[in-house]
Amino acid sequence: MIAPEFLYAVVVVMIAAFLSLLRVFLGPSVPDRVVGVDTLNTLIVAGMVLLGAAYDRTIYIDVAIVYALLSYVGTLAIARYLQGGLE
Amino acid sequence: MSSERGMSLIVKTTARATIPLIGIFGAYVVSHGHLTPGGGFQGGATIAGAGILFLIAFGFGEMEKRYSHGLYSALEGLGGLAFLGAAMLGLGVAFFYNTLWHNGPLFNGRPGTLLSAGYLPIMNLAVGLKVFTGLVSAMVAIAAYRRWGE
Repeated sequence: MIAPEFLYAVVVVMIAAFLSLLRVFLGPSVPDRVVGVDTLNTLIVAGMVLLGAAYDRTIYIDVAIVYALLSYVGTLAIARYLQGGLE
Repeated sequence: MSSERGMSLIVKTTARATIPLIGIFGAYVVSHGHLTPGGGFQGGATIAGAGILFLIAFGFGEMEKRYSHGLYSALEGLGGLAFLGAAMLGLGVAFFYNTLWHNGPLFNGRPGTLLSAGYLPIMNLAVGLKVFTGLVSAMVAIAAYRRWGE
């Protein structure tokens, strides 16, 4: 049973995710691509929460929380690398 | 950027707030492995994400002070041994026989509650401990590998 209004919201988020994926593909510099990936992470978290609501399963929210926390760590690792690395 | 320093003040403060959050949520994923998505590996990798966040935000020098190689390798071995010990609990019937669930004194509550499913919570805790210590040890070893540095 899929609630249709949440599914439409997921489609909107998916279009936005494709647009930010375009920035990842076309971005002329590396920081552009990093910002594209970061935007994509946030949009995917929003899509996961909306899909959890659409399928009416609360346990899917756990996956979104873990993804949000670990995407922060990943972006921070790339930022630190671009800043000059760990050493 | 100097070698042993961490990142900026904002990143450090955010990491101070986020590391306990990631750790507690990883412990939740590990301990509810038999009820919700996730389990030993996923929760252990999440807690290891907290360790990696510590390493990135505060730098290798700070991590070196907090990290003890002997303790982490002992805990990794302990995780494997706890998994094997839980598997051998019902050795009177068969290897991996879930005797805690069938006639054990604990972990045999109603299905769907936290203290159910026999040896599965013990095995999840063991795998979570092993994955966390193993991944943090690997990350520290990679960060300690100085070839380009000096």
